[in-house]
Amino acid sequence: MKTNLIFIKALLLLFIVSGCSSDDDTTIQEFAVAFENPSVSFSTTDENKEVKIVFSSKAPQAGNVTVNYTVENAVYGADADFTTVPSGETGSITVAFKQGDSDVSFTINKLKNPIEGVTQSVSFSLAKVSVLNSIMSGNTNLAVSFTESAALGGIISPKVGGANEPNQVYVDLSAQSQVDVLRDSWDLGFYGGSEFRVSINGSIFMGAAQLDATDINTVKEADVTAIKDLIKTSAPNTAQYFDGPTGEITKTVIAEVSETDAENKVYLLKLGFEVSTKAAEVGGVELSGDLRGWKKIRILRSGDDYVLQHADIAATTFEEIKISKDSDYNFRFFSFNTKNIVDVEPKKEKWDLNFTVFTNILDFGGGNLGGYGYSDYVVTNLKGGANSYMVMTADFTYEDFTLANVNNANFIVDQRGIGSNWRSVFTGSVKDDRFFVVKDTDGNLYKIRFNALTDDSGVRGNPKFEYTLLQ
Amino acid sequence: MNLNKSKFLLFFLLFFYSIIFAQKNEVKKDSVKTEKLEEVIVTGQYSPQSINKSVFEVKVISRAQIEQQAGNNLADVLNQTLNINIIPSASTGKSAVQLFGLDGQYFKILIDNIPVVNDEGLGNNTDLTQMNLDDIQQIEIVEGSMGVQYGANAVSGVINIITKKSSKYKWEITPYIQEETVGDEYGLFDEGRHIQSIKVGHKITDRWYANAIYTRNDFAGFWSDKKGKHHDLNDGKRGYLWLPKLQNTAKALLSYRGDNAFRTFYKFEYFNENIDRFSEQVDPNYNPSTQTSDPIGDDLVFTSERFYHHLNFLGKWKDGFNYDISLSYQQQKRNVETFRYRIKAREKFDVQEFEYESRKVYYSKGNFSNFLQNNSFDFQLGYEVNHIDGYASSTSGSFDGENIKRELGSYDFFGSSEINVNDKFSIRPGARLLTSSVFDPQVAVSLSTRHRFDNGLEIRAVVGSSPRLPNYAELYTYFVDANHDVRGNENLEPEQGTSVFLHLKKGFDLTNDGASKLLSKLSLNYLNVTDRIELSVVNQIPLQFKYINIDSYRTIGAFFNNTMNYKNLKANVGIGFAGESKVLDSRVLHNDDYLYRMQFNANAAYYAKKLGMVFSAYYKYNGPSQQFVQRQNENDETVLIRGKQSDYSWLDASVRKNFLDKKIQLTLGARNLLDITEVNTTALEGGAHSGPPSTLLLGYGRSYFLKLVYNLNF
Repeated sequence: MKTNLIFIKALLLLFIVSGCSSDDDTTIQEFAVAFENPSVSFSTTDENKEVKIVFSSKAPQAGNVTVNYTVENAVYGADADFTTVPSGETGSITVAFKQGDSDVSFTINKLKNPIEGVTQSVSFSLAKVSVLNSIMSGNTNLAVSFTESAALGGIISPKVGGANEPNQVYVDLSAQSQVDVLRDSWDLGFYGGSEFRVSINGSIFMGAAQLDATDINTVKEADVTAIKDLIKTSAPNTAQYFDGPTGEITKTVIAEVSETDAENKVYLLKLGFEVSTKAAEVGGVELSGDLRGWKKIRILRSGDDYVLQHADIAATTFEEIKISKDSDYNFRFFSFNTKNIVDVEPKKEKWDLNFTVFTNILDFGGGNLGGYGYSDYVVTNLKGGANSYMVMTADFTYEDFTLANVNNANFIVDQRGIGSNWRSVFTGSVKDDRFFVVKDTDGNLYKIRFNALTDDSGVRGNPKFEYTLLQ
Repeated sequence: MNLNKSKFLLFFLLFFYSIIFAQKNEVKKDSVKTEKLEEVIVTGQYSPQSINKSVFEVKVISRAQIEQQAGNNLADVLNQTLNINIIPSASTGKSAVQLFGLDGQYFKILIDNIPVVNDEGLGNNTDLTQMNLDDIQQIEIVEGSMGVQYGANAVSGVINIITKKSSKYKWEITPYIQEETVGDEYGLFDEGRHIQSIKVGHKITDRWYANAIYTRNDFAGFWSDKKGKHHDLNDGKRGYLWLPKLQNTAKALLSYRGDNAFRTFYKFEYFNENIDRFSEQVDPNYNPSTQTSDPIGDDLVFTSERFYHHLNFLGKWKDGFNYDISLSYQQQKRNVETFRYRIKAREKFDVQEFEYESRKVYYSKGNFSNFLQNNSFDFQLGYEVNHIDGYASSTSGSFDGENIKRELGSYDFFGSSEINVNDKFSIRPGARLLTSSVFDPQVAVSLSTRHRFDNGLEIRAVVGSSPRLPNYAELYTYFVDANHDVRGNENLEPEQGTSVFLHLKKGFDLTNDGASKLLSKLSLNYLNVTDRIELSVVNQIPLQFKYINIDSYRTIGAFFNNTMNYKNLKANVGIGFAGESKVLDSRVLHNDDYLYRMQFNANAAYYAKKLGMVFSAYYKYNGPSQQFVQRQNENDETVLIRGKQSDYSWLDASVRKNFLDKKIQLTLGARNLLDITEVNTTALEGGAHSGPPSTLLLGYGRSYFLKLVYNLNF
């Protein structure tokens, strides 16, 4: 029995040794501090700007950040050019944060506009962070200009609105601003340039088909029943029902509006889909809700204005609205929701990129072209003069890419230079082997690199990108 | 029902426990007293009986073989068997089986003659790694459609795990530890496989016996060139090639033997498993402002739990018939915890926990036989009823965001009779009526005959049938959006499986003194599955897919097996050819030519008496196999080609020695000595958005084990 006991003890020991498991090693995560953006500029109407200082992780303890500044042609003081909150009277600003904060900010007040022709600026730099083991990295300097100037770069998170992607977001890189509109808030865009062209809303998968009739009242349900089935995305031989995806105004599905009324045919219009309200699975999207219905339309010219005739398919009468061109904008927009003009795009020189859902045209094999819906799409403002192209990191790294590397021959007549190239829906992530060059509507050249397709929780429709002015 | 699809056969031969019989010498003194030359089998019998009296062909994997292979679960031991292929899935941690080329939906895994629950079904789709073997006496494998004996979904056969229910010792206390490398990886904690177990058996009286077992099996995963859960770069190296998992099994048994052949037992089992899955993809979560990353993983933990209760009565009703009644309640549930993980901060967030899949089963089966007490004619009547509450969460399949709840009641009645025309020829017809709360009534039939010639040659012919019921994906899938249209079909009919087996068997004495024997067996088989359910194009424009009963599947095969005993050497050699033909009416392109594959296995065990050691080796060769697959040719046309999967072999070996009057038993061995990890294949088709894989993962390479058992018997 004694030997038994020894064996039992020995086995027990072996049990314990082989049965336990090691604990995770823990590493200390760095605490990095930086200005969110490298530059801020004031327009003549801006009175104050908030400057955000961001942390790489939540603050492990309360503390403060000290920021120094130097001035050029600008004087600090309540009766001088600018002040800050908290006060920077002493030549530096100390901003306090609490444990768990992920950013802090301070405010710059511009007290008077500089005299024209004089550059007034302040350079801020991070001086000290009171947290142990913290580092200052990335944007450690901030250039503030009191005259309007193109942003040196920064980060933008377009408010696409999550996995239903309800918004089209218009981004102005140089002004570092964005404007969002609900993508099902408009139906038709009436071109403001020299051509008389009308665009349909591809962000809700609208489609259109030309009918033989020229009298809108004569078109009946029976005339369009067969065609209705053909107007859809994800099917071959459907390209003829959608606007050309390159963004060239001459390639709209609706033919150029003729001065001669008799040449302007009636069109069947599929109004696309409402923005879905269904919750998407994490990592997926839910774009399309209910079909918004069908309309018949006919567009005529009245001098330099458009005249839109529209009616339900079965109606024997129609409504009419006159829409005049506005050359400040690419388009003026009409909505069947309100049967009136609606505001959508900013002025054509006030946006460079549009984050949107998009109807593309794909080759379904054997040259059979058809419409195909894309989420998380980025369109360049080709009509406003912007353009873009893709650069692979195998050729240039993002960091090393300079103005001298820009190849203007790569700007082709296509609004899809970024398109869907920046992300993979199969991995649900940003493609990290590429970045893009964007020429904005003001002629500035930026390199831009996408950082996120989702938020931290993996929810789609939360893009983020960084960009830097090439100079 | 048509004649073709029914029947059933099975018979069998005696294939002896193909291993180490040296084992017999060693274990004679301990509890494994079932190691007799004449094995007793249970599967498909009216009552337990000698293997060579059985009308079915039953393959037996003995306790001795399992111990020699240091098999802890079913996946460890089955891959050396002809006609069986184990398909491990590194990404789910499960091991699935193919029997005659058909997957786990087509055969049943039983414990003590009743199907055992798993999170996807009752008896079917069992994950072999979840079947602990520490209390078993033997594994019985019956090939062919066993619908009459075991009901639906027993198309290609059944695997019946028979547990130990008695002991000759008053007390038996058996702790053991087993340490294994995983490929060439081993560490005390984070690498390798670590098993600890303790078994306590107690003979309370001559009539009462009880035992209890606890086993912990910690598989630390196979790293290969991966870098584990804390790797924070998006370079495809995060996580594990094979998922880590931790299993705990607890079992208990109470049995009683009474008068008049009465025996009853109650068996309980609790099983728990944790599988961690770490996303290979890392969201770098780059912060351009600070130019730092806070990488995020997208991870989950699966937790499975199984409860198994089985109460069995077996005996003789007064002087009349024999009865064998089982009552069982079983439950298996898989929960999933999904979360995102800040790798640097080691922080979980967005944690969600929910039930992933589950099955609850109420089950009873009864067999009644020997009504006439007549040697030339007997019949058996029986019933098998069960009620399954099934649940599949919306994330376990494409169910349009719906959780699937379904109750399925099955009420089967069956009967068979055994007619011994004379002492050479017997015949056994049988039939089962399968009714259920969901599907139309089905019929399974079987007919087996046995004839023994004067020269000792025995011929058995067995015909059988069994339907396969549609699964949840086939019934309830709903995946319809702008770009897809894939639908399940609640009007599906069960598939129909039929098999025909012919076995010829003869024993020879190799020496005059009878010390050396050879047993040869030749088996021919044909298996046919019709009304096969397949996802099919039901509309071209727009493209729509739906599950329909459309295809069929056939295999033909010939297997020749020889078992030999010579002094202290026992050897087994088998060779088989199988052809497989698929009629794929669900596809525009298909070819139903038979495609053939060869398998060969050999094993030997030698008892070195002077050393007190048993040496054994197991070898199985899996020949190249073919499959028709669709490929694009240079003109961009879809064509059908013969894809080929290369051949590969399994070789395992071990040595076992006893110390200190057999108190200590040490087994050293190696699995997968030929270091197989994957096999090249052009026989797979790609998914909707990916090309076909060019390799099939088979194993994690050569690994070694050490098992140390302490037997305390008194």
